[in-house]
Amino acid sequence: FRRKRKWGRGAVPAPFLAGAARSPARPRGAAAGPVPLAAGAGPSPSMAFPGRRDAPDGPDFTVLKRLARDQLIYLLEQLPGKKDLFIEADLMSPLDRIANVSILKQHDVDKLYKVENKPIVSTSDQLCFLVRPRITNMKYVADIVNADKATGRSRKYKIIFSPQKFYTCELVLEEEGIYGDVTCDEWAFYLLPLDDDLLSMELPEFFRDYFLEGDQRWISTVARALQLLNSLFGPFTNTYGIGRCAKMVYEVWRELVEESEGDSQARRPEISHVFLMDRDVDYVTALCSQVVYEGLVDDTFRIKCGSVDFGPDVTSSDRSFKVLLNAQDKVFSEIRNEHFSNVFGFLSQKARNLQTQYDRRRGMDIKQIKNFVSQELKGLKQEHRLLSLHIGACESIMKKKTKQDFQELLKTEHSLLEGFDIRESTSYIEEHIDRQVSPSESLRLMCLLSVTENGLIPKDYRSLKTQYLQSYGPEHLLTFHNLKRIGLLMEQAPGETLTAVESKVSKLVTDRAAGKLTDAFNSLARKSNFRGISKKLGLIPRVDGEYNLKVPRDMAYVFSGAYVPLSCKIIEQVLERQGWLGLEEVVRLLNGNEFAPTEPVTEENPARETQRVILAVFLGGCTFSEISALRFLGKEKGYKFIFLTTAITSSARLMDAMLEAKV
Amino acid sequence: MAPGALLLEAQREYEKESQKADEYLREIKDQNLLSEAVRQCIEAAGYEHEPETQKSLLRAASFGKCFLDKFPPESFVRTCRDLRVLNAIWDYQIGIPLTFAQYKQLTIEVLLDRLVLRRLYPLAIRICEYLRLSEFQGVSRILAHWACYKVQQKDKSDEEVAHAINQKLGDTPGISYSEIAARAYDCGRTELAIKLLEYEPRSGEQVPLLLKMKKSQLALNKAIESGDTDLVYTVVLHLKNELNRGTFFMTLQKQPVALSLYRQFCKHQELETLKDLYNQDDDHQELGNFHVHSSYSSEKRIEGRVAALQNAVDEYYKAKNEFAAKATEDQIKLLRMQRRLQDDLDKPYVDYSLHDTVYGLILDGNHKRAEHLYRDFRVPDKRFWWLKIGALAEREDWEEMEKFSKSKKSPIGYLPFVEICMKHHNRHEARKYAARVTPEQRVKAHILVGELDQAADAAIEHKNETEMNLVLSKCTAATDSSVAEKINRAKAQSLKK
Repeated sequence: FRRKRKWGRGAVPAPFLAGAARSPARPRGAAAGPVPLAAGAGPSPSMAFPGRRDAPDGPDFTVLKRLARDQLIYLLEQLPGKKDLFIEADLMSPLDRIANVSILKQHDVDKLYKVENKPIVSTSDQLCFLVRPRITNMKYVADIVNADKATGRSRKYKIIFSPQKFYTCELVLEEEGIYGDVTCDEWAFYLLPLDDDLLSMELPEFFRDYFLEGDQRWISTVARALQLLNSLFGPFTNTYGIGRCAKMVYEVWRELVEESEGDSQARRPEISHVFLMDRDVDYVTALCSQVVYEGLVDDTFRIKCGSVDFGPDVTSSDRSFKVLLNAQDKVFSEIRNEHFSNVFGFLSQKARNLQTQYDRRRGMDIKQIKNFVSQELKGLKQEHRLLSLHIGACESIMKKKTKQDFQELLKTEHSLLEGFDIRESTSYIEEHIDRQVSPSESLRLMCLLSVTENGLIPKDYRSLKTQYLQSYGPEHLLTFHNLKRIGLLMEQAPGETLTAVESKVSKLVTDRAAGKLTDAFNSLARKSNFRGISKKLGLIPRVDGEYNLKVPRDMAYVFSGAYVPLSCKIIEQVLERQGWLGLEEVVRLLNGNEFAPTEPVTEENPARETQRVILAVFLGGCTFSEISALRFLGKEKGYKFIFLTTAITSSARLMDAMLEAKV
Repeated sequence: MAPGALLLEAQREYEKESQKADEYLREIKDQNLLSEAVRQCIEAAGYEHEPETQKSLLRAASFGKCFLDKFPPESFVRTCRDLRVLNAIWDYQIGIPLTFAQYKQLTIEVLLDRLVLRRLYPLAIRICEYLRLSEFQGVSRILAHWACYKVQQKDKSDEEVAHAINQKLGDTPGISYSEIAARAYDCGRTELAIKLLEYEPRSGEQVPLLLKMKKSQLALNKAIESGDTDLVYTVVLHLKNELNRGTFFMTLQKQPVALSLYRQFCKHQELETLKDLYNQDDDHQELGNFHVHSSYSSEKRIEGRVAALQNAVDEYYKAKNEFAAKATEDQIKLLRMQRRLQDDLDKPYVDYSLHDTVYGLILDGNHKRAEHLYRDFRVPDKRFWWLKIGALAEREDWEEMEKFSKSKKSPIGYLPFVEICMKHHNRHEARKYAARVTPEQRVKAHILVGELDQAADAAIEHKNETEMNLVLSKCTAATDSSVAEKINRAKAQSLKK
């Protein structure tokens, strides 16, 4: 029960502090990891107490970083001697979190370059490329190698794929005629711990590849990531999920488990429950404006790989600051999950407290002052700096949001969610488009209208699209095609009543149950049935008086009390019921593909029951609002949620993924 | 006499219950040679072929051991085991006359191989079990050999053989059904191979063999089931080389997963193939998209772009997508118009959206042309008004704005005029429009231009509490105390009523 108290309201989780004392992962890492170096990495001081199991709040994920770093070093050493390293832009920030420049230099990396479409200037005899397995990257390498060949220059080339190599890459190397000239390796860097409870695969393309293009290549990657966690922190005993992709990941992962059976049986798991969910189960939540601080910061400034660049308007200087946003930031960790309306109040309170602490200096004698300066001042200064940054960020958000009439926007979103005043909302969206407020915002609102209403009526569908094309150019014809294909922006079939839709859906579900998983691929786009689901799950809280955002009563607080995020509600319900029993109707409306353990493993010891640690896996990305909502749920119910996402997403990112790039 | 021989004698005497046993034993012990004696007996047993002699020697060793404190037991146990194995293979039905030394030299693995070669599978398995060899090294390996032999038996039907093999092998770890299947295929039993592959749990192992057997369809199915896209690609590219283009495409059409993977590949590597794929499938929608995409990604000249768009229009009509066709036709029209503008006005217009084009024209004072576009493309009134006042304000052409505002009744009302003027810090102009807004928007308009007093009057006139509060919230104590007072009075009054 000690753990339960720790998770109580308002407590700040501090797994890093607790976790520093122990390192269960290293010996395990050797058994499970794909990393040959783990065993040779030297003993850690904690090895002396292998049996100690001090209950931390969640597993300590620093081991993931260590494994990744050790393997990268191992791979670099496979190419002895000085070499230049070319890094793909998308991998730079993640790499930065794993190994800094000096570590790379220690292992004979001479110069670092970014992979970009420019001729290279390197004079080194050995070139190493650290890239994602993409065809464009292969062409990039091929161009370099072929240019060298043309000038008669001989060098060594090595391509390190992260997190894995794909057959198509080798194929392209072969077609370009350089397969024999390069050596290939895989850097099994699947998971980047962005925070104590947040693991990201940093694969934003997952969403488009799978849900739009029907490309399944990342499925096995996710399964391997899951297996990595399973071997380090499992065994996972209870696995739930919903969605076609979730199911496939689950099946591939099970195969991996069976292949490596026997190494992790008797261990007591640090994570026992897993919930896998496809992004397309719940588009609505991802399409809403975020109003929780962390989400709002993401929507406004775009958090990249766990850090954000605060520009001059925030820092009120001529420089911009890169700030790491995670639980280590004492100010941020207290406001990240708060509704934005509370944040200012909190920050000013904090500022006053800080002032009083500074003020304590007065009336101190020399000795006390000395103490103060040496021990507290640095912490206070740090806090001061962070505080002023976050206040600056708040101001900047307020400025931006009032300019666009944020309240009006939220009102429209809320009426869409509730299904009131659809006409009014439609004309609001039209005006939004006509006035060129923001291309991705307009698109998002159109999608929200479509997903909540099961499609637009044909007249609106045509006119909104026409307006949009007039505002933002004809190439968006392709954007609309993509949105239709993925099911985000659809036209209601004429004369199709809700019941007709439902019977069609139920037919689809039974067809699917009988047929193979893959048969259903033709109909990627699907009806959302949001109204029915919302009613069944009570997603719109009944209004009785003002919703107190300071003391939230449910997860709806992340959307100002107007809407409980569907994805989080599903997770809550399934965990509560230990399965899908009683949710049949919802499952049917969600198009099925649900799964649960046949016999849920429950701990006999009720004290441990409360300590359930749950891995929530979002395939196609999750938003900060969802994370906040589940953190709240965890505090309420005594769960500890760990998030694994293919990438952090937001409405803007979803929309961006639908654009056809101008090549 | 060697101590071992003496020990053997001692044991014999002991069995006869003779006291000589004690004598002999003492003699050995006195010379401190007992352990040497035991060792000799054990070793000697190894060289004997007759089980009876082996036994008596071993018995002697065992007897001698009783009088020793710490004699390591391994050599004894090992010899016993090895002898049992050797005795088994010396049997006349087996007939492998290996000596103990030869056996040691050969190692058990080689011996097992020889047994397997002689198809003495049961004995080999018994030996493995008896010696407790790991399954992977022992039983599974032998079973696999057995199965490989089994598939060569031509007298049994495919079903029988496959069933028999699965019965015996089950899920024994380390068994590779694909290897057995490969053997079956080598013997020309393709059907049996396919049956055996069904038992192979790892799709990665099934697919290459299936390809080798030219069962590409099945291979494709298996690859897709595995969820391993690399496998799917392997099969797809194999098929591409094996089949003619038409059949290849037909095959893909039936497998959506493979098709979408191949499309992804083509998008990066072989754009033309992608077009062929769509053509084959009569997918006019995708073809239309394809042309639209190339109109702005690969074509640089206007003529080329128009041509690509024209193709797209044709395809969209074929796909019965009137909307897309019309939109694309509009785009062709716009492109041509933009080029003319570019030539006439010597400013870049191409690649702007319709909205931005009209905006740009107004910004440059080309009202006629803007008007023309507005009518030609049936731009909605509201949009035109929004964009026109925006552009005029940016140009700070307040005169034109006023003219425009009076041209007809504004479809967007006059509050936007107030807003846009204030945005460009022209309070004077804003006031003009504030007077023209509808009564409902009057309070807001007055607040915008900073006339709190009038705003308060309007709110009080409306008897609208929210409006009053809105005004009140804008009041600062220092400058607007009289306004605030006025509102509070009005509020109090309405309360009284």
